[in-house]
Amino acid sequence: MSAVSTTDVLPERPVKKKLAVEGVTRTFGGKRREVVALGGVDLHVDDGELVCLLGASGCGKSTLLSIIGGLDEATSGDVWIDGDRVIGPGRDRGMVFQGYSLFPWASVAKNIEFGLGLAGWPKDRRAARIDELLGIMSLTEFRDARPKELSGGMRQRVAIARALAPEPDMLLLDEPFGALDAITKRQMQDFLLSVWQRTGTTILMVTHDVEEAVYLSNRIYVMAAHPGRIAEVIDVPFGRTRGPMTKRDPRFAPLVDELADALG
Amino acid sequence: MIDAPDTVPDDLVIDPPAPAPVDDALDAERASRGTGTRGRRHARLLRLRSDLGPGARIGLGIAGVAAIGLLWQFASGRMSGSILPTPAATWEALIDLQSNGILVNDVWASSKRILIGYGISVLLGIVFGMAIGSFTSVESFFEPQIAFLRYIPASALTPLFLLWFGLDESPKIWLIVVGTAFFNILMMADVARNVPRELINAAYTLGAGRATVLRRIVLRHSIPGIIDAARVNLAAAWLMLVVAELLAAKEGIAFQIVRAQRFRAVDTMFALLIVFGVIGLVSDLLLRGLRNVAAPWARS
Repeated sequence: MSAVSTTDVLPERPVKKKLAVEGVTRTFGGKRREVVALGGVDLHVDDGELVCLLGASGCGKSTLLSIIGGLDEATSGDVWIDGDRVIGPGRDRGMVFQGYSLFPWASVAKNIEFGLGLAGWPKDRRAARIDELLGIMSLTEFRDARPKELSGGMRQRVAIARALAPEPDMLLLDEPFGALDAITKRQMQDFLLSVWQRTGTTILMVTHDVEEAVYLSNRIYVMAAHPGRIAEVIDVPFGRTRGPMTKRDPRFAPLVDELADALG
Repeated sequence: MIDAPDTVPDDLVIDPPAPAPVDDALDAERASRGTGTRGRRHARLLRLRSDLGPGARIGLGIAGVAAIGLLWQFASGRMSGSILPTPAATWEALIDLQSNGILVNDVWASSKRILIGYGISVLLGIVFGMAIGSFTSVESFFEPQIAFLRYIPASALTPLFLLWFGLDESPKIWLIVVGTAFFNILMMADVARNVPRELINAAYTLGAGRATVLRRIVLRHSIPGIIDAARVNLAAAWLMLVVAELLAAKEGIAFQIVRAQRFRAVDTMFALLIVFGVIGLVSDLLLRGLRNVAAPWARS
């Protein structure tokens, strides 16, 4: 970290980096009881990377993701995407929430189509994109089903497909598998890896699951609470090709242990 | 030769197949079972939150109606017809109302006031309710007025409205609007507030603007709640209508009740009360049907 104050200089516009978070703070509440949810966070995600924000509940990781998504405002600091300053939500940052957040009145296909229509895609291109995503997500036979009729894992696949549909610059995932049972969670992790490898989308994911973070990400930002901050940055040495063999890598278990200790 | 022994010597017995002793143990265990029970099981009809079949539910409903009918029949037999008419006399009065043309004419007169007045009320409820539930600024602006006005009994405004709007249709319609709009606005604001934030956020991150979110997420998600609120508050609309018709009207169901009172025609008064009940029941069923058609995804 630089000791030089940059407050009197215009923030530099970062290049190469897909996402840059610079000195982001977020405080809640009034003058009497001010809660510092984020006390100055810096991080970056390069093009095509899968990066995890790892931390216990209450460390501000979801708040940080909301700020990056433009759904919450930073008290100070800036978020940059491809050199543009984030001032609000937009279709360049597809988001997936823990609670699926599918539109309950719309079929699977209509849910996926929502962003495409808003982006002005013509009908035939929309249909082709929906078919493509339904195929990737193994949901083709459920295209006309309503969210209520789907299992948790299927709903989350629809949510990911809907976020991916308008081809966002990056995908922001807020504990996407937190509500799933252990078996479905494993399947969804492998599924996310395959989507990442096939589409090359840049992904930033919030999780409290240490093993999940190590298994999926290129880099892990370990967060600590009171105030929410980056406590540690870990580069995960497994490259882009992941799979069940990753967990048998001799470096896997020690890394998980090290991170679990850092969190505990 | 000695007779073959009854029992085979032990050393000649072939070992029984393995499961046999287990069976024996099981049989012994079964034989030891007594007639005692554990736990308590209540009769299905008297069980809390019981899972009754549709047959039993319909049957009980019919029994409930029959019980009231029998009670009415019994009570009316012991009282003067000028206090409590018999079901048969009430039915005859109803037929008379029909043949006089009063039924169609006055039911329509009352229904028309409800349709216009309550229609305006529901529209106000949707517009202001969605705005208050969606924008904290709008909520803060209207909160004090609504908090104050909602505690003024709308029926207390009747004399004032008669003074302002005269004796024709408009005071009745405005009374219905004023008497129900606050309830509709407040309840529909709650409906808008209950739209999950994640749905709104998801729409924003998919590129939706504010107007799109209001129309395609907030309003869309609120449709079943809006219909439910309109259904609940419809009873208040009829209440206001009756207040207005009792005071000043030339036609209408409540006006006919007042007229029947002048002639001490209790049977006609009863018949008209039953008409109120039937109209309420029918409109309730219609709105439930509308909810299922308009928002099949929210069917419970």
